[in-house]
Amino acid sequence: MSRVSFLLMIAVMASALYLVRTQYESRSLTTDIDRATSEARRLEIENDRLDVERRAQATPLRVEKLAREQLHMRTITPAITQYATVQGAASAEVRP
Amino acid sequence: MSSRSVQYTSSPLLASKTPIWRSQFIVAVIAAGFLGLVARAAYVQVIDNAFFKRQGTVRFVRTLDLPANRGRILDRNGNILASSVPVPSIWANPEDIERDPVKLKALAKLLGLSPAELDKKLQDEDKTFVWLKRQVDESVAKEIAALKIKGVYDRKEYKRIYPEGESVAHVVGFTNVENLGQEGVELTFNQALGGKAGSRRVIKDRLGRVVEDIGEMVPPVDGQDLQLSIDSKVQYFAYEKIKEAVLSNKAAAGSVVVLDVKTGEILALTNYPSYSPGKRGNLSGAQLRNRALTDTFEPGSTMKPIVVGLALEKGLVTPESTIQIGNGKFKVGTATITDEHAHGLLTINQVIQKSSNIGASKLALQMEPHDMWEVFTQVGLGQKPHVPFPGAVSGKVRAYKTWRPIEQATMSYGYGLSASLFQLAQAYTVFAHDGEVVPVSLLKTNQAVTGARVFSSKNAAAMRNMLHLVTIQGGTAPKAQTMGYAVGGKTGTAHKVEGKGYASKKYRGFFVGIAPIDNPRIVVAVMVDEPTNGAYFGGDVAAPVFSQTVQQTLRMMGVQPDMAVKPQVVTQVEKESF
Repeated sequence: MSRVSFLLMIAVMASALYLVRTQYESRSLTTDIDRATSEARRLEIENDRLDVERRAQATPLRVEKLAREQLHMRTITPAITQYATVQGAASAEVRP
Repeated sequence: MSSRSVQYTSSPLLASKTPIWRSQFIVAVIAAGFLGLVARAAYVQVIDNAFFKRQGTVRFVRTLDLPANRGRILDRNGNILASSVPVPSIWANPEDIERDPVKLKALAKLLGLSPAELDKKLQDEDKTFVWLKRQVDESVAKEIAALKIKGVYDRKEYKRIYPEGESVAHVVGFTNVENLGQEGVELTFNQALGGKAGSRRVIKDRLGRVVEDIGEMVPPVDGQDLQLSIDSKVQYFAYEKIKEAVLSNKAAAGSVVVLDVKTGEILALTNYPSYSPGKRGNLSGAQLRNRALTDTFEPGSTMKPIVVGLALEKGLVTPESTIQIGNGKFKVGTATITDEHAHGLLTINQVIQKSSNIGASKLALQMEPHDMWEVFTQVGLGQKPHVPFPGAVSGKVRAYKTWRPIEQATMSYGYGLSASLFQLAQAYTVFAHDGEVVPVSLLKTNQAVTGARVFSSKNAAAMRNMLHLVTIQGGTAPKAQTMGYAVGGKTGTAHKVEGKGYASKKYRGFFVGIAPIDNPRIVVAVMVDEPTNGAYFGGDVAAPVFSQTVQQTLRMMGVQPDMAVKPQVVTQVEKESF
């Protein structure tokens, strides 16, 4: 009888220790997952921020300014049209 | 050795007489100790269990807020018009702030406050939290952190960024520092954009790491992204052009509305003066007003095509019928309606082309007031437009029963009723969409719509032809011509109302037009308020903006030019009546 009790007690102790260990592991995994989640969120926010920044660099206002000032481009109009005929002979450029 | 003592050793030398009560006393004390423990355990675990549980929870369970991202606002091509990014906000704990005058002075300078203002914020030592400045630049926050003042902290907050700036300000609006919409679609769609914050309960260890989730997590619901029908390029271009026109005409303000006829989408809606939604110091009401929707005015000559359209519909006239204008004076009751020119006999086509008040009045006087009122209402005048904007107005069309003949006549050329520029643009879809008024949308739909029929398809085509005549030789707005595309439209010029009467030298010039006229894709309405640089006719101040906007918009939409290109010729301007 006492031997059975002793064995059971050993089993209970082992199980308790195992529980503690599992709990510990579970907690450290939770910590890891939490850290990963917040990192993911941080990256997501960073991505959003960079998206906005990229857009700010490509607004029509800025594009037009750079095209005009640095690349010396001008807005196209149908006034600058090249007519190509089927024969490929007569083509003319009309300017305003 | 009595039986009442315990013998601890066999050696008689070491034998001592210990009374038995001593060992019994020890046993009793230890037993009492255990009993105490048992009682305490019972108290903790059974009797006052709830209290101890609560205390434990307070010490390691934390509720974390999971903030929801505010949705972005996008244009029809997915370009960002508004988005939230996290920025630092600086706060302090006045209770335990380090009051080092040198450091505080440096802090005040970084925050852009005077030392006195900063002192005032930190005065109340009972407080443990006070905002010093919200939403500062990242670099400023770093410098403040480098000062290492005890009791000054930063935390991340979301700030709205508007990359497109001024051109789209009135459409998008802005949010306040609490991320709540204040104007424009930020206000109208605040709920959908805002989303819903979530929360989770966790156990934290002594290092502040989350070690366990308790119970159900309430996930945050991020705000929805909102895709508008606005095309940021068209919008920008329209804004630039109206800005140029307002500045060169020394005008007070101007607006442009561009509608896609096929889908009813608003491609552009812009006003000048405008503001940068990101920097809102010293804003005036004039800058904030979304004039295209909130300002009403008498639509002047732009009403004539609607009245003539009704006359065609009722079979009173055909485009080729003639009407006698006479010497340019026409008496209705005691009042006299005048035209700039004595045109004599005009066809109906010419009534529109030359913008004759008398022609329009004579047609109106042949109609029932009820019929006119009905058409006005059908095309959206006197009705609040169905657009999700705060402050959109309905304009005014009086009940037809109260109309006197002279009022009926003046209404035919746009006096005695009022409308916003946006309403006029929508009204003109009746000509552009083959006689149907198109329901407008500010959200991207990209689907062809059918509207409510007002005129027959044949009469709408006849009206488009008349509107085209306005823009060619002999019309009031040759400046509306645009290279490569045949256009049509109607000018309007109205005296501004001031107090009870009309201001003598204050005008509003506008133009509402359709392009390309044979197979319409867009309706563009332009308004220039109080031009003071000489020119003030709609055909002079607004038509050029129309021309440029149409040109760029159609090119961006990939609409093929329908006219052989020739150098742009501006013909003699016909003076319009108003």
